[in-house]
Amino acid sequence: MAEVLGTFEQAVLLAILRLADRAYGREVVREIETRLGREVAAGAVHATLERLENKGLVTSKLGSGTPIRAGRPRRYYRLEPAGVSALNDARAAVDELWRGLRWPLKGHA
Amino acid sequence: MKPAPPPWGEALLRLFVSLDTFASVSGDLLEQYRDSIHPARGPRGADKWYRTQVLGFVWRGSRLWAALFAGAFVARTTLDWLRPTTDFLMRSEVSTALAAGILLAAGFWTAWRSGSFAAGAAAGLATTVIAAVLSIGGTTVLLAIWHDPHTMTSIRGSGGLEEALMLPVWLVLPGMAIAGVGGLVGAATERLARGG
Repeated sequence: MAEVLGTFEQAVLLAILRLADRAYGREVVREIETRLGREVAAGAVHATLERLENKGLVTSKLGSGTPIRAGRPRRYYRLEPAGVSALNDARAAVDELWRGLRWPLKGHA
Repeated sequence: MKPAPPPWGEALLRLFVSLDTFASVSGDLLEQYRDSIHPARGPRGADKWYRTQVLGFVWRGSRLWAALFAGAFVARTTLDWLRPTTDFLMRSEVSTALAAGILLAAGFWTAWRSGSFAAGAAAGLATTVIAAVLSIGGTTVLLAIWHDPHTMTSIRGSGGLEEALMLPVWLVLPGMAIAGVGGLVGAATERLARGG
């Protein structure tokens, strides 16, 4: 069965996709904040990355550190085929829900 | 000299992040603290941001255990109020064993992840403090729903309202101790599993 993704999981996976080989925790947080236009908790992003890795949707490997990080390594994330498939399914589900409706909606409220 | 977050913040973070990811997670936080938060908010604002981030990790690591602990407490309170008894021994034994089991598991799991002996006690503190807030809230809701004379008699017979509202607070220190034991076992097991 295809993996059902939550909205924040999609945001994290899409950030990894956009960042390509620059996809480590700090940059993922920055990318999501830019896209969503609000501050996000680092803990929420790291918990989601850990969950996505446990589901096999992403993999990670350690890179080198930098002086601003006190030499601590960056953990780079990469989308796996299962992650791409899950994103495609999520997009298809949303498209199906919107089929036949014009966007933006004209409100009646 | 580069700005640095509060040292206790990193120490606390170490207890609630897995051993494998601590270096990269703390590096990410440090990078963000130095390259964007500190320049924009100044030292006090940046330290406040860092504390909030670390407490977010503590919250995420403890909320499940706290919800279980508070759920068990409120369930026991509901039982005592709505199905009163004269012999509380059996109920006490079951609820005490359940609460101790939850705290032992919280301490074990947190220490297993972080590889730190202190993580168990820290998890016990976080779990019981969050659970105290949830339990007091839950008990207040129960009281708002059931406050007829019959239920009030049951409440007095089961220790009184003060006990129902204060017991979660009294359990904080014992909870730390019990979870601390779980943490000792968890950290020791993790070290054994890693080969010493």
